[in-house]
Amino acid sequence: MSLDPRTSAGDPLPESLPTEAPIEFNEEQLLADPEFDEPLIAAGVRCHGGFIDGEYVSPRTVVRAPAIDAWQARLRREGSGVIDISSEFMPPQYPSLEQSKLLLCEGVQKPIIRSLTMISIVEGFGAMIRDVPIPDLRAAIKEDIAGTALAHLTTGLFEAHARDEAGHRDQGGHKQMWEAARDLAFENPQIPGDVLARLMQGRGRSRRPPLFPTLPEKVEGLIATMANVMVIEIFADGIFSWGEALLGDPEVSAAPAAASQMVSYIRSDEHPHVEYLRTALSEIRCRTLVTVDGGEIPGREVVDQILVQQLRGIASSRPREQREALYDEIRTDIGETNLASELLRKFSALDDGWTFPRAEDEQIEIALS
Amino acid sequence: MIGEAVERVVRSTRIGYTAACVWLRYKLPSWLDRLSGRDPKARNLDGIHQKNADQIYRTATELRGLLIKMCQVIGTRSDVFPPAYVKTLSQTHDRLPPREFDEIRRVVEEDLGKPLDAVFSEFDTKPVAAASLAQVHRARLLDGREVAVKVQYPDIEHIVKTDLSSVRRICWIYEKFDPQPMELLPLLDEMNQHLALELDFCREVESGDRIRLLFEDNAAVLIPEFYKEWCTGRVITMEFMSGIKVTDLETLKNAGIDYQQIVQGLMGIYTKKILACGFFQADPHPGNIFIQPGPRFVLVDFGLAKELPEGFGLGLFELMFSMMTFNDQSMIRAFDELGFVTKTGDKSTYVEIARRMIDQSENRTFEGEFTEEMTDELFAAIRENPIVQVPIDFVLVARAFSLLSGIAHTLGHRANVLEAMAPGATQIRN
Repeated sequence: MSLDPRTSAGDPLPESLPTEAPIEFNEEQLLADPEFDEPLIAAGVRCHGGFIDGEYVSPRTVVRAPAIDAWQARLRREGSGVIDISSEFMPPQYPSLEQSKLLLCEGVQKPIIRSLTMISIVEGFGAMIRDVPIPDLRAAIKEDIAGTALAHLTTGLFEAHARDEAGHRDQGGHKQMWEAARDLAFENPQIPGDVLARLMQGRGRSRRPPLFPTLPEKVEGLIATMANVMVIEIFADGIFSWGEALLGDPEVSAAPAAASQMVSYIRSDEHPHVEYLRTALSEIRCRTLVTVDGGEIPGREVVDQILVQQLRGIASSRPREQREALYDEIRTDIGETNLASELLRKFSALDDGWTFPRAEDEQIEIALS
Repeated sequence: MIGEAVERVVRSTRIGYTAACVWLRYKLPSWLDRLSGRDPKARNLDGIHQKNADQIYRTATELRGLLIKMCQVIGTRSDVFPPAYVKTLSQTHDRLPPREFDEIRRVVEEDLGKPLDAVFSEFDTKPVAAASLAQVHRARLLDGREVAVKVQYPDIEHIVKTDLSSVRRICWIYEKFDPQPMELLPLLDEMNQHLALELDFCREVESGDRIRLLFEDNAAVLIPEFYKEWCTGRVITMEFMSGIKVTDLETLKNAGIDYQQIVQGLMGIYTKKILACGFFQADPHPGNIFIQPGPRFVLVDFGLAKELPEGFGLGLFELMFSMMTFNDQSMIRAFDELGFVTKTGDKSTYVEIARRMIDQSENRTFEGEFTEEMTDELFAAIRENPIVQVPIDFVLVARAFSLLSGIAHTLGHRANVLEAMAPGATQIRN
């Protein structure tokens, strides 16, 4: 994923930034849909978003997208950049495109169907962002937050994010769109019965102790949640590339154009999520947080430490654990075919491995754009 | 024959008398208040609640059988029932008046085919717990291992049959005279089957072994080891495990065990069993769950362990998910997948039922918790829409989650199923 400064709609940032754009919105505005010429219907399911002049347009972006641009422009005007996560930290998708194709060509469909189904479910769980306990940010932050993304988290931004991921009322969201892409490509495959069991593997991790015990619990919790979701959303770009290529490959997909397009629509819908989270965290970063005893901590210190912790967790230890678990699953699935050992050898040979680019004791600087 | 008939009449009369007393204790003062111009709502009902709870407890513990099961459910619902009911009726989880030891000894010796002291070096005559179908004694095997011995009451099969027969007659009358009756008799048949399973202790041992296997990689879940040599159809001899009852707030607090961690752990365990593995203990009442520091979870009593059909977990997940997003089409698909059937083919009934359930929640949104109010509303909605047939698996799962919701509320937290199964990255409340 390119992490150059871009608008929330995914376009390159214009050279001249708007200076007088509105920065205060109500929930209705932030949830407003563009007027679509036709809705997006996939595999018989009405999804969110739609088409204008033949081009796919993401849902709830008519005000939300320019609003995010305006908040980012304000940050840059005030001399504070927007947090940027380098693509070098992004772990690659496993199994890789080549490995996935190998499995499918050899008739081992289960691991891919399982992966796609789990992706759809995890996307759906994104809706739980609307349940994040929100502290009184005006009391938790020393400086004014009027006219920022932060001030709009509970008045549209989290709700739009939740609806995009899980769907809302008669419209499917990313959960249903990933399911549609899977069903198009593999013609309504049988869903492995162990999907939920796999999803729940590794549960019971102990709770992370607070990094800043003097901060109100909800404040650190909110920052950690936003950092966590932002990093996951950024890293999901690797999944989109994998999904678009794999489901768009006529050698393995029954509906390459439609399935691949569906993934590309989801990918474009995710831009506003990454951008509002980058913006809100950057807004905290250039402010001061108030501790429970009335003291102060620079927002930069809090946001950067939490982000580094998240990066090390999400991009380092978690992919390693997931990779090991997934390898075992695939070995079991391959074991059900003839010539399993030969296939497993080929599969392993295609694994180029990946390690986090920074040693445990090496410092990670949070970059801005 | 005459004896059985008399017993049936006695039980039915006793139940009817208790119900009438409870009702009149609330109604008479209310009528008197109205007659004398006082506001009935201003009256302090604590004394009446206690008297009623005591009477229900007495009737249930004397008659036992199905009444005990009902009391156990009420005893978990501190968020719904007044404290007098919860405190009094929760004693039916494990503080039922025990049977005479001689009766217990007879069953053990008959089933093991040996005198008690040929198997056990010690056998406590006072039980550690007495439940609706059996009671548990602490003992020691000849080789020194400390064990818990669960012994079925000698006449329990007969009592259950009598109760079911009485209830069946009541259901038959109800279905004849109610203009829109719910089809209760098939449900009663299912219940009959389940009680038969609960009375088969060999099956309970197999179920416990299976659940232990599900959690072999989780050191926080403890299932007692069964000593098969001394297990029969009416006797289970198992490893003795201590722990604090999951709703014993004071002892848990004194042991420094965090209530939230208990709820999160329990929900993780049951969500994994129900949604992920499709095999679960359908009776997660507080008398079956003990906590050790950690927290670690001691689970006992696998009598009502149930295998769910393939795809049930995913279907239930989709139902919850569609309720969370208010997606009608997805709700209909999920109800279909779960095995709900409409006689006329009009599936809009499903949507109505789901909406009524959602309306029972605090914010009129479904966030992942099946409260008792929601399951009650579900069954009320079904009663008013007799075209719907409900799969018994769904009834049992809804009841299990409702029991867990009661425990969670007693501990001051919520029993959110979706949160319990959310992948690590999305456990955002943490």
